[in-house]
Order: sequence, then C-alpha cells, then structure tokens
Amino acid sequence: MKLKVCGMKYQDNIESIAALKPDYLGFIFYEKTPRHFDTKIPDISDNIKKTGVFVNAEIGTIVEKVNEFKLDAVQLHGEESPYFCSILRSTSLLSRPIEIIKVFSVKEGFNFEVLEPYENVCDYYLFDTKGKLPGGNGYTFDWSLLNDYPSTKPFFLSGGIGIDQIEAIKTFQKSDASKYCYAIDVNSKFETEPGLKNSSILREFINKLHNKKTMNYNVDDKGYYGEFGGAFIPEMLYPNVEELRQNYLKVMAEPEFQKEFDKLLKDYVGRPSPLYFAKRLSEKYNTKIYLKREDLNHTGAHKINNTIGQILMAKRLGKTRIIAETGAGQHGVATATVCALMGMECIVYMGEIDIARQAPNVARMKMLGAKVVPALSGSRTLKDATNEAIRDWINNPVNTHYIIGSAIGPHPYPDMVTRFQAVISEEIKWQLREQEGRENPDYVVACIGGGSNAAGTYYHYLHEPDVGIIAVEAAGLGIDSGESAATSVLGKEGIIHGCKTLLMQTKDGQITEPYSISAGLDYPGVGPMHAHLSKTGRAEFLSITDSDAMEAGLELSKLEGIIPAIETSHAFAIFKHKTFKPDDVVVMSLSGRGDKDLQNYIDYFKI
Amino acid sequence: MNRINQKLQEDKKLLSIYFTAGYPEINDTVSIIQDLEKNGVDMIEIGLPFSDPLADGPTIQDSSTAALKNGMTTEVLFKQLEGIREMVSIPLIIMGYFNPMFQYGVEAFCKKCQELGIDGLIIPDLPVDVYHEKYQAIFEKYGLINVFLITPQTSDERIRYIDSISNGFIYMVSSASTTGAKSGFGEEQTAYFERIGNMNLNNPQVIGFGISNNETFTQATKYAKGAIIGSAFVKHVTKHGVDSIDTFTNSILNA
Repeated sequence: MKLKVCGMKYQDNIESIAALKPDYLGFIFYEKTPRHFDTKIPDISDNIKKTGVFVNAEIGTIVEKVNEFKLDAVQLHGEESPYFCSILRSTSLLSRPIEIIKVFSVKEGFNFEVLEPYENVCDYYLFDTKGKLPGGNGYTFDWSLLNDYPSTKPFFLSGGIGIDQIEAIKTFQKSDASKYCYAIDVNSKFETEPGLKNSSILREFINKLHNKKTMNYNVDDKGYYGEFGGAFIPEMLYPNVEELRQNYLKVMAEPEFQKEFDKLLKDYVGRPSPLYFAKRLSEKYNTKIYLKREDLNHTGAHKINNTIGQILMAKRLGKTRIIAETGAGQHGVATATVCALMGMECIVYMGEIDIARQAPNVARMKMLGAKVVPALSGSRTLKDATNEAIRDWINNPVNTHYIIGSAIGPHPYPDMVTRFQAVISEEIKWQLREQEGRENPDYVVACIGGGSNAAGTYYHYLHEPDVGIIAVEAAGLGIDSGESAATSVLGKEGIIHGCKTLLMQTKDGQITEPYSISAGLDYPGVGPMHAHLSKTGRAEFLSITDSDAMEAGLELSKLEGIIPAIETSHAFAIFKHKTFKPDDVVVMSLSGRGDKDLQNYIDYFKI
Repeated sequence: MNRINQKLQEDKKLLSIYFTAGYPEINDTVSIIQDLEKNGVDMIEIGLPFSDPLADGPTIQDSSTAALKNGMTTEVLFKQLEGIREMVSIPLIIMGYFNPMFQYGVEAFCKKCQELGIDGLIIPDLPVDVYHEKYQAIFEKYGLINVFLITPQTSDERIRYIDSISNGFIYMVSSASTTGAKSGFGEEQTAYFERIGNMNLNNPQVIGFGISNNETFTQATKYAKGAIIGSAFVKHVTKHGVDSIDTFTNSILNA
C-alpha cells in the first residue's frame, strides 16, 4: 500500500519527510487553510510524486501550478465536475502528464453512485471524512462503508489517520473493503503544528505499516546494544561502575553540567569544529566530500570531547584522582590536558612498547603533569595498558575515576563516551544544513579502533535510514596476513575489558594481539555499539591496509593541505575502493591531525 | 551432596590453594593436585589461564602468560583431568575468566566439569545478575557450585543478594585489590571481616587475596571458615619447583 503525506509547507521539513521516501507529497494551494503552500519545493527524489491539492480552483490556476512546481498529480477537493476533470485531463497547456485524484467525503449513507460519471475522467478517488472544512478534519470515517464500493478504480484512504490507527489499518487491509485501496493519505495526525510534520513519528508509522521491526541502535536500559555490551566486571569493580551507571545520565542532564561542558568545548577546545567542503578531493573522486575537522580541536583530535565530559563527571562524583589508558598517546594527552585544567592527579597507563614508539606524546603527558606508568605485562601495548588501568581502579575504588578513551568497556562507558562525542554529529547536522540545505548527508564515514570518533559521528544519524554509515577498520598487512586489526571480519563474539562484543581471539578464547600501522586502531575489540551496527548491517564495514592508508594520507595532504593522523587516513582510503555518485554528500570524520605521525610518514615515504 | 558442601561441614578451618594449570610446566597439573591433597590441603582451585586476567596481580598474570605459552588450553586441561577422581577426593574448583568458557560453550563446559568430577567454578568476571538470569539453571543441572566474590566495598544489601544466590561458600576478597601478597591485615580488614561475620550469612565465607603465610592464614581463619592462597603458592613453585610443595603447606599449617 502506498503512502501520501499531505499538507507540506516548510522547506526543511519537506526534505526530512522526503527522506522517508513516501510515494506522494501533497502541497495545498488553498489560501483558507493554514497549510497553504506558498514557497518553493526543494529538490526531492523523482520517485516521490508531487501532488497539488486544489479546492474549486480555475483550470488556469491549476495549469500554472503544475507547470511551475512540476507537479505529478492534482488532487481536486471541491465540487469539480466530471466535465472539469476531463478538460483538465486533456488540456494541452500542461507541460507534463498528471494523475488526477478526485476527492469524496464519506459518511454514513454515502451514495457511491456519484462516482460513476468520474470513472473515465480521473485516475484515483480519495475518500475523506465529511467535515466542516474541505480536508484535514482530523478524524476517520467508518471504513466498513467501503464494503459497498462499486468500482474497480484504485483509491486513497484518508481522514484523520494517525499512528494509533495502525491496527485498524491492518484489519482493514485484510478485509474485502480494501481490495481497491491503493494508498493511505496522512496529514494532521503527524503534525507538531499545521504544515510541520514530525518525521520520527512518521518513520515509526511507516515501519509499522510495512511490518518493519524498528531497530534500536542505542543502548537499552540493561546496557546492551542488541546482544552486545553489558558489564562483565569482577565484583571488585562493581561499586565504581554502578555509581557511574546510576549517575551519568542524571549528571549529564543537569543544566549546570551542560553549561560548563558546552563552555569548555567552545572556549577551550575551540568548537564548533569546521565542516569543510573538500573541493579538490571532491573533484578527484567526483562526489561531494565534506570534512568534519576534529583535527582542529585543542590537542589535535576528537579525544578531548570525551575527556572534558568525563573529568566534569568525575568532579561531580567527588573523585580526586584520574587514571587512563593510552595506546598512541592521544587519549593520554587529552586526559593529562583536562587534569592539568582541573588541577587533578593524573596517572596514564601505557604499554612499554608504545612508550618507546610514541616518545613525543609521552613527553607531552609529562609536561602536562601526568605520571606515565609503563604496562609491562602481556604484549605491552594498548590492551595491557587497559588491564593495568582496570587493576589500578580495583586497588583505588573510592577516590579514583577511570577515564576510558573509547566507546568500549563495561556499561555505561560505551554510552557515556558516545554521548560526549555526539557533539560531532550534532554540529554536522546544522553545518550541513547551512551549506547543503539539508541535515542528512548520504554517507557518514569514520575510522574505527574502539570506535569513539565513529560513535560521535554516527550518533545523530543512527536512526536516519537515508544516511549510509561506513565504518573503516585497519586491515594492517591484509585481512588474511595474520597481521590485522579488522575486528568485524576477524573477530568473534566474546568478552573483553568488561563488555561483550566482537573481538579477535583464539579458538580457545584467548585474546590475540592485533596489528596496524596506526597505534590508535590497534585494538583487538570494537565498541559494542559498532558490533551491533555490524551484525545488523546498519553500518557497512570496510577494511583498509597500511599501505592504502598511508597513500590516502599523502593524497589528502597534497590535495587539501591537511596532514591527517594515520588512523584518519584509513577512512580516506575508501575512495579507492568504493564509488560514490556525483551528487552524493559524503561527510568524513577527520578525527585527528598527523603531527604525531610525522616520523611514521617520513620513514614510510622516505621523505 | 557436593564435595564442597561436605568439606564445609567439617569441623576445621580450611586451606584452599590456587595454582595455574600448565605452570611451571604443561604437564604439572595432576602432580600438583595430588601433592596438595597429600600435604593436607582441603580444597583446590585449578586456574584456567587467560590472556587478560583483570582481577589478578603480576604473579598470576605472569604464570598465566607462561602457561598459555606452554600450550595450556581448555581442551588440554580437560584431557589432563581425565581420571583425576580416581586419584584425589578433595573438592576441586576451576577458576578462570569467562571468555574461554563462553567460547567452549557454557553448557558444554559445565557438562565436561561434571564428567571429570569438578565441584565448582569461580569466574570473577561473570556478574551475579548475568549468572542468575542466564546460567544458574545450567550450573545446577550439572551439579556445579558457583562461587561469588564480595569485597570491602560491597554493600550489605548486595551481600545478602549474593548470599541468596550462592549455594557453597562466599569468596571474601580481603581488601580492595587484585591478587597478590600484602603485608598482613590491618584494622580496616579485621573490621570488615567482623562486619561480615556478624551478618550471619547462609553461606560460610572463605577469605582470599593477600594471604601468604601462617600469620595471615591464622588471622583470616579467625573470622572465616577458611582461606585461599594463590599468588604466594605460585611464587613458591616458580622459585622451588613442584617437588617441594610440602615445604610450602607445612609453612602455612604447621608453623
């Protein structure tokens, strides 16, 4: 059954409703209604039939509007005669073919014989509720009256249909009366004010109408994303994690907290970060590429959005000591920075091997007053640094807050980190509206290690089905090389660092050591939200090798004058593997700047 | 009746020893178990090694890494334990992290434990709620006792909840810490031991973490039914090998 959404009025709203792919959108050309349409129709898909609604208008007026707005259908809501319809149908003044929909208001005792003269002069009937005004009366008629429908002409069912009628519609669909029902027509029941439609309720309606299960990509109240997430922690950590779980949403909702968070993001971090149209890159790949410049944040990456949020959280919870883990040192620096800002003690755990290969970041952390503790166990990299930080927390349960740097760990960490990073997609929405006239791009793209920049980039688009989500993992030397970090391909469901997610492990359940040239993507697991996005197919996961990433980093430097972090370079390598349409809008999370990786670039390219 | 429950009914303070399976050598498992029983140990925790043992200190992290390097796996351990019940009769508990069991299949793991004569499991990172909701029925089907931990930070309410779900003993973690020896128990610990003792829980308590010698063993068992020694024993076999287990147990029990 098709869907028509009628009474559209505002440009932005037209775009967001068009994104739900209805079959018809209705524009009312009748000045006596508050839904009277008097602006322009933005560019929308050709698959949506633009329908002009008229009440006893002159033929000339209708022709003019059809030609001006490139209407595909005309809906006649007044006492237009069969003769009028036949003239309209045959006039040569129309620049394009149109469908004619003739409206009849139905109530008990409706005489279907009135339809007969219209049989050959219109394409559809529309049955509405008989009310005081033509259309939009907001209540339904008794659909069983259609049992007496004598025609075979397809019709629109209209009049006060809302989300509460889903069951009634389904019952109706099963009845004989619906045999010729071609479409459902909705209007006022989906409005927040006349002419302004609520896209999320409409989406729910559409999903229910088509029996689509509405998938939830956010965390549920038990801390799971589908089957992933939860809090698999030893009892020793229970009080700490539970304290956080009980308080994080409450604290984040406090106006004072929000004010402080927003102010620091603005004055200290430098937000909003620009959304930059990458002209030369776009030309090269023949599509429209925008860069969300998280690399311009203070400390050079998105990481600080989260550490600012978490240190404010730690203060609210009365903590005096901060611990963190770090791989490449970016999260360690971002944590050391906010600890200096707040005058709090800071201990950063870092794998012994990473300390050796990331000397500049170790120095930065020390300058900022943090103590860097080497993780000497296991593989002496990020996963072991995380183990050490967790052990520290077990040993210091009362005064310490653990700032996890990615969208991983036991619930509520993945959700909390995602919410702090969600500022990224919140800004993309209004920035893209300013530049493209619409909030939703065709794709959002981010690189994924644990997945915090990705989580923030996707967050406000998770439930926008017209926005494609692309996640880029590190393939290292290649998926089958044994030296890789492509968790969505190589990982299996399991438990790491307190959550159930996809992780790289042996058959025996031992966690294996990943490999990537980029220390920030070198993690054996992936955040539980991303595991869910992968499993449900909501996100497309691509994996990019070291060499492709390095080349993409060099290309971005030369084309746009931006040297990206190697993590970020992985995301930019997708253009070599995936073709976008010329009018696609692709928003890339430029998660970090490449200063820290200069030595790697120098060594790789022998610069 | 489960061997653990039987043992808990004995009128004595219990010594339980943890060791890492596959350490120092891959095939030491059975001889360590036999020697521990022979030397008066009441209960044994067989450590199934894990790559990322979050709740453990450096000693057990290292022995686990070495055991994995030696080739220890869940399959290998089960193979080694075949016929163990013809050799020893004290309660045997497998202690390990959840992921290896999850990969083996929780039900298959429990079934195998029952076949081999394992009496219980300690899984530090399997939360009480998840156990209760998803796995309790399976554990009970195969006659396994699951042992939960409590710490000085655990609230009374939660201790009562854990007590209600337990059917063997409660593992009392002596202080806010990972495993590994501390220098004796201070006032804070003894106050906590007393507090728990006064709660009159349904399940007896066994104290672990930080017990390394006769002094700490005696102190702990003043308040609890027994005590568990892990890191100190692992250190002993690291230093002296597996032939002098009697020296270690004597130092605890007969000092």
